[in-house]
Amino acid sequence: MGKRQGIKVLISVIGLDGHSTGAEIVCRILMDAGMEVVYLGIYQTPEMIVQAAIQEDVDVIGISSHASNYDQIVELLNLLKKNNLDDICVICGGTIPKHHMQKLKKEGVSEIFPPQTTSESIVNFILQTQKTAAGG
Amino acid sequence: MKRETDYGHPIKPVYTPNDIENFDYDRDLGDPGSYPYTRGYHPDGYRSRIWTQRMTAGLGPSRQTNEVLKRYREMGQRGGMLVICDRTNAMPIDPDHPIGRREAGILGWPGASLLEFEELMDGIPLTGQSITLLGSCPMSSIRLAYIVALAEKRGVNLNEVHGSVTEYPFCNIFGQTDAQPLDLNLKLWLDSSEYIVRNKIRMRSGILSQHFQESGGGNAQALAVEMAMLGELCSLLVNERGLDFDDVALLPYELVSVGSRFFEEIAKIRALRRMWAKMAKEKFKAKKEKSCQLLIAVHTSGRTMTYQQPLNNIARCAIQTLAGAVAGCTAIDNACLDNAHAEPSPLAARMSLNTQHIVADETGVTDVVDPLAGSYFVEYLTNKVEEEAYKILKKIENLGGMTAAVQKGYIQDMLKESAQEKHREVERGDRLIVGVNELVISPEEDFQLPIQEVKAGDSEAIARRMEEWKKTRNMPLIQEKMAQLYSDAKKEDRFNLMPSIIEAVKAYATAGEIIGVIRKARGLSYDPLETIDCPFDLE
Repeated sequence: MGKRQGIKVLISVIGLDGHSTGAEIVCRILMDAGMEVVYLGIYQTPEMIVQAAIQEDVDVIGISSHASNYDQIVELLNLLKKNNLDDICVICGGTIPKHHMQKLKKEGVSEIFPPQTTSESIVNFILQTQKTAAGG
Repeated sequence: MKRETDYGHPIKPVYTPNDIENFDYDRDLGDPGSYPYTRGYHPDGYRSRIWTQRMTAGLGPSRQTNEVLKRYREMGQRGGMLVICDRTNAMPIDPDHPIGRREAGILGWPGASLLEFEELMDGIPLTGQSITLLGSCPMSSIRLAYIVALAEKRGVNLNEVHGSVTEYPFCNIFGQTDAQPLDLNLKLWLDSSEYIVRNKIRMRSGILSQHFQESGGGNAQALAVEMAMLGELCSLLVNERGLDFDDVALLPYELVSVGSRFFEEIAKIRALRRMWAKMAKEKFKAKKEKSCQLLIAVHTSGRTMTYQQPLNNIARCAIQTLAGAVAGCTAIDNACLDNAHAEPSPLAARMSLNTQHIVADETGVTDVVDPLAGSYFVEYLTNKVEEEAYKILKKIENLGGMTAAVQKGYIQDMLKESAQEKHREVERGDRLIVGVNELVISPEEDFQLPIQEVKAGDSEAIARRMEEWKKTRNMPLIQEKMAQLYSDAKKEDRFNLMPSIIEAVKAYATAGEIIGVIRKARGLSYDPLETIDCPFDLE
């Protein structure tokens, strides 16, 4: 599979969490920054997200979380590893308490953006990691 | 920093009589207790009745929420209780659903059966305080059935129970997502509403602008959407269900989201009272004064509660609570200082209830009704937000009303655009938020909050309990009730399903089962997530 020029990001909400506003705002931010965005919407299981990530051949997966269902994010990470997709960078955003942030990062989430994060910091983080990935 | 209203109207440094030139006291305000009720419904305001001081509960197993409700009472909850349902129940699917079992009891109460409601209400009387259960629309008729069934079991006169357990059919598009199509939600809402009105039950139905506004909508938009929903839903009850408007008018209640823009929030609530009074009188030809008085409760805004420096949220909550009190609302529940982190901890809940009591007992706000009336600025703001709302309402009506505007995507696009703009305003520094884009400190310096949460094991335990309990039920009886429900649900939409839902609930059929059977009768999959099959023989 030939690598694209631009960065392709999958944004999804996981489980039964219905809070979609944050995810939709982030989609717009990334598109405005010139990235290609695939938005899966709500009610996505870890399996569905991995399926879509394979089909769409994305570089980054962004999970918006407002419903303390962090175990499903860990499931997603494990499923990515199982499918040899751990080169995909996983980031999260939302109302995630600090102790869960630490746990999720230990499990392999690259970065977590709490509420009121600036657009710039999300975009810069993705650009930075993808540059490193492309260089490495 | 922008000096504009929340909806983008410029604000001047000073307001004078020129800004309310055609002001007519009797026409525009009237005394408290007089049409158009801009100043409120009671001549004595809070002297005759203080607002209901309540706090949202709902987390983990039903018995745990029951304990929290009892503790809230000790912590100063007065006049009513408020429980929010969990993510499974919002859909609704049962906690033992393969997908539901990971999230049972998360973000709310897993109210999937009458058993759960009995445990929730154990030792708590059904009367003497308002019973409010919030969640999503499709549960409306089932929650109403819980009330009917438990009142019967306890030998309580149903007409002495008051509160609200049903909710409007549009919340699905405002972030309060369920898994049901709009036409089904609308049907279930009309059924429960008609049942309430015909049986003269003192239960209100939430027709709420709160979800819209908490998802990023502006003040004028929120008023317009609220009026569009009220206009359309009341019309349906009058025209399609053949009810008298003066009976229907006792049904709706509105939960307004109140943020920190103090004067604008007060203006919004005053404008809403006036707009509803006019709609009731002019559009619906209300014969009774009571029909012109929309019950308005306040939820202080969760979206204004910051993740950064969460103790700042106590100050925000106090300002918002004061705004709700000055505006003269019927009930207040507060977003908590830990709103952007987790569910309310006991500390956060206590702070919220204390805030309400501080505002009620220490500031003097309860002494005088509508204290800001006659302020050039507040009257100008009240007129302005009403004027802007009418412009948007007109657009919605030109599209064919609320349902049509939703189907055309107009409401969703308006909301998305507004949410984006609010985000951009903060990014540009047009709006300042302390701790976010002003006076920022490092995360290391920040206050560490105690966190209240449900663990994965708790969800699994709720699921297992339901699985085991389901096997102990009288299955032939449930089978019989479900067959009846199925055959009724196949009839025309105007055939009211409440009686057969009540029968199914009394037989301890669950929410997932009841909605599943109704879905099947309408040609949909039994399980909205298409994971499990229908366990009943229906044909």
